Amino acid sequence: MFKGVLYIFLFLVLGEVIVYLFNLPIAGNIIGMVAIFIALKLKIIKLEEVKPASDQFIKYMVLFFVPYGVGLMTFYDVLKVHWIAIVISTVLSTILTLYITGIILQKFGKNE
Amino acid sequence: MNEIYQQPLFGIFLTLIVFQTAKIIRGKWKFVLFNPVLLSVIFIICFLLVFDIDFEAYNVGGQYLGFLLGPTVVALGVLFYEKYEQIKENILPFVSAVVVGGTMSIISVCGIALFLGATEPIIRSIAPKSVTTPIALEIATTIGGVPYIAAGIVIAVGIFGNAFGPAILRLLGIKDKNAIGAALGTAAHGIGTARALDEGKLAGAYGGLAMCVNGLLTAIITPYIVKLFLL
Repeated sequence: MFKGVLYIFLFLVLGEVIVYLFNLPIAGNIIGMVAIFIALKLKIIKLEEVKPASDQFIKYMVLFFVPYGVGLMTFYDVLKVHWIAIVISTVLSTILTLYITGIILQKFGKNE
Repeated sequence: MNEIYQQPLFGIFLTLIVFQTAKIIRGKWKFVLFNPVLLSVIFIICFLLVFDIDFEAYNVGGQYLGFLLGPTVVALGVLFYEKYEQIKENILPFVSAVVVGGTMSIISVCGIALFLGATEPIIRSIAPKSVTTPIALEIATTIGGVPYIAAGIVIAVGIFGNAFGPAILRLLGIKDKNAIGAALGTAAHGIGTARALDEGKLAGAYGGLAMCVNGLLTAIITPYIVKLFLL
């Protein structure tokens, strides 16, 4: 478990360093996500070593973003003005995204 | 009394205890709006308003929990690898579906919001609305949006997809379980994927992988798409 946590933080640091060195317009943790995938694919690290730790992070992910959801309260005034535009655009866009993704895979994928 | 609120312990403890309570409520009633995150957020906001505590005081502790989203994004890379092994043979149609769907998600939400008169900070905040919260926060911050608005919208989208996604898809003629899984993961990230798991383990894997692929895609292309809309 500890080794897994260490690996995850190692790749997080690696991602931040890469972003800093190459001045990338993308977050360091996202680069870290790609880097750990590549490391697993190339068998540089083993799945059994990181999985116990990564599963825990993913399991409690929803807890970690509660504070950000609470932060929404500080934007009450902005939301009061724009809520109709926000609700309509997100609902329509979500339905469209669901449909496009689903129909492409249903048409072209190997189905059960 | 005020000093107690200013300690990290206050925000952390409040979040933990509320989250546990929300999970118990969810366990008792399977009602879709009793999502633990939604319940926790609403309850904490009410608590802070009733006792007249600033968000900043709560966030002294809250930010420590938020910090853990950084390593969580890296952990998604591990999930990505695991799921990738499960759906290898369908990878090309799958990636195409997620890429087209994910791209349309950003274009459509920005386009419609702009048409309805939303301001620039709003558009920059809702552009990553379909990707998993930790990635959406990073994207919103990178492109000059407000991470708190992004988080709220993303959670709402996830709950919407979780509650209505499968019904909407079936109504539109999408009956293949893997397609439903991929659609839920692409449009409604982890909260949608939780519902995809109800369709079966493989559908859940499609959802999880779709969430990872779309997160990466959206992180790469959102800055360019938003630039097109907000010249």
